[in-house]
Amino acid sequence: MKEKTQQQKLMSFGISMLALGIFPLTWFLFQAILFRELTDAISRNLLVVIAIIVGSTFIFLLFIGMDKIIKLSPKENRDTLEARMFAGPSIFMIGLFLFYPALRTFYISFKDRYSNEFVGFENYKWAFTDSEMIVTIRNQIIWLIFVVTFVILIGLIVGWLSDRLNKGEAFFKSIVFMPMAISAVGASAIFKFIYEYRPPPLTQIGIINGIRVSVDRLGTTCMNNRIIDGKFYGFDNDNCLPPIGWLQQRDLTMLPFADSLNLDNWFNSILINLPINTMLLMVIMIWMFTGFAAVVFSAGIKAIPAEIMEAGQIDGASELRVFRSIVIPYIKSTIIVVGTYMVVTVLKAFDIIYVSTRGDLETNLLAVKMLDEFSKYRNFGRSATVAVLIFVCVLPIIIGTAVRERENTQS
Amino acid sequence: MNRTTQKWYDKPVTKLILITIAITWIFPVFGFVLSSFRPGEAIKRESWWDAIYTGKLWSELTLSNYSEIFFADNLDRSFYNSFAVTIPSTIIPITIAAFAAYAFAFMEFKGKETLFLFVVASMIIPLQMSLIPLVQLFKSGVEIFGLPIIPALDINGTFVATWFAHSGFGLPLATFLLRDFMMGLPKSVIESAKIDGASNMTTFFKLVLPLSVAGIAAFATFQFLWVYNDFLVANVFLGVYKPENLVVTSHVSQLAVGAYGEAWHLRTSGAIISMIVPLVVFFSLQRFFIRGLIGGAVKG
Repeated sequence: MKEKTQQQKLMSFGISMLALGIFPLTWFLFQAILFRELTDAISRNLLVVIAIIVGSTFIFLLFIGMDKIIKLSPKENRDTLEARMFAGPSIFMIGLFLFYPALRTFYISFKDRYSNEFVGFENYKWAFTDSEMIVTIRNQIIWLIFVVTFVILIGLIVGWLSDRLNKGEAFFKSIVFMPMAISAVGASAIFKFIYEYRPPPLTQIGIINGIRVSVDRLGTTCMNNRIIDGKFYGFDNDNCLPPIGWLQQRDLTMLPFADSLNLDNWFNSILINLPINTMLLMVIMIWMFTGFAAVVFSAGIKAIPAEIMEAGQIDGASELRVFRSIVIPYIKSTIIVVGTYMVVTVLKAFDIIYVSTRGDLETNLLAVKMLDEFSKYRNFGRSATVAVLIFVCVLPIIIGTAVRERENTQS
Repeated sequence: MNRTTQKWYDKPVTKLILITIAITWIFPVFGFVLSSFRPGEAIKRESWWDAIYTGKLWSELTLSNYSEIFFADNLDRSFYNSFAVTIPSTIIPITIAAFAAYAFAFMEFKGKETLFLFVVASMIIPLQMSLIPLVQLFKSGVEIFGLPIIPALDINGTFVATWFAHSGFGLPLATFLLRDFMMGLPKSVIESAKIDGASNMTTFFKLVLPLSVAGIAAFATFQFLWVYNDFLVANVFLGVYKPENLVVTSHVSQLAVGAYGEAWHLRTSGAIISMIVPLVVFFSLQRFFIRGLIGGAVKG
């Protein structure tokens, strides 16, 4: 009798090992090795077809296979095994592909560039003393302040105003929301075309420089560098403004009003040092995310009970007053959620910089710097340190949100 | 009541501000789209606004940029690669998350609360945090206390690497959202199915999955657009140096970064082709996308 339970235990252990350990591992390895071998062996089109089919169906094989194996085990164990089979893959994948690597990044950040020896806080010292890193952190702060503020402000305006339209509300929101659907790479390409600069004998094809060279200092039309109907109008008019490489400008000294600025004034001296290229790159992100804010705010505004709004109107409060004292307090939590989302998004902003300037000319951001250290300079320690910095900035914000959510649901 | 409010609602200033914002938002795209239909030489010779001004634009319009970028520049290959990355990277995490969500919502097991906390806590990890070790893991495997869990696979540069990277990053949110959704389903229905003797697999496939379609669609739309538009993961795990490994985003970034000189006719048409799929998905599934986005607002 005793021996039998011993045997049963052994068998159920074996089955659970098979179902939850060996089988999923084989499943993963089979897929990985299959594609590693196929990648160079067959034609690309065939590979893509196989990848789509295998990639989207194999996952069901995993669960069906585990289920079949579990069916072999004695009934009384089955419930536990089934629960493990349902929840296991998620936990395991998060652990292996997200949690373990994150811990390891911490660990690597204390080691040297090849992760051979411990260097203590050397990398962190570098992160706060290296001149390039200081510029990167400065840019990150500028981005956080401006992008988050403008996205929320314009989002509030669009959300609030479009809510008051009788028709066309969806249309306006869709227009502003549309950039959210396209990739940041595509958006950067669009804006690069707007900021495009070409050295003077060539025609300006970016609209900003186009406008700039078409009006001279006296306010009359300027034909510099323009070709109309095949006729070239020359570029010898000295009164015309030269085009500017917008994404190459680190400050405002190139702009016409800079000459007349009194630099003794502290405000002017800050103004003149405004990194114009960083500002213009931020426009891309504001353009992309305002629609998201508008849509979320608009949903929040719609949820305000009509009686409250009407009470405000009957009392004769002006629209701005209604907006300030009813709408804003009512959707405060929504604003915080959007703000949180934007802070996290800005901290992880990568594509825009990578495609536009590759982080040169003092436009770098943390996420780009992280990848640069990793793939360009091959310094794993520093790269991990920058990643940890991003994480440390994200951490309090997310925890704050989670705590607030909890309070909201409990109250 | 409606009389007075409508009057108050419909001020011309409102419309004016909104139309201004809408035009500002559309304007950047306008010149870009226009240029994608002009020959490369014309784009460089004459700015698009001058071309409109002189009326020459209409005689220039052509589709040759699109055929050039799509066939001669192999954007079609990048396009198929994008699907080979995106479709499994959407289906794998959703399937795994749906099973896990079912377990967290309807099953009893040891350590349920702790494990769920682990899932929620993982949401705060930004992608950057796990990038380097994940590259190393896919290259040379993992050992825990000298025991090899995963052998050296060297799968960076294959689709599998991107699938599992995207799954790892998407799973915490997917599990969390779907569990939330399933908690909202009527408990009595699921319990009665169990009393009738239905197994967990049957309950899951026949009852819970069909009822959770809205929740699954929300996350699927979100994840699909996210993966399709992603550049970082594609850049790290597929690389940009082998042209046959490019996906749409990395292909467009190669175009924009300057390897192509001043090939604006390819940059514009390439970028616009890359936007077609997400825009179609977006406009047809906007409702789901917004729900997924709002759910994802609390993610690292």
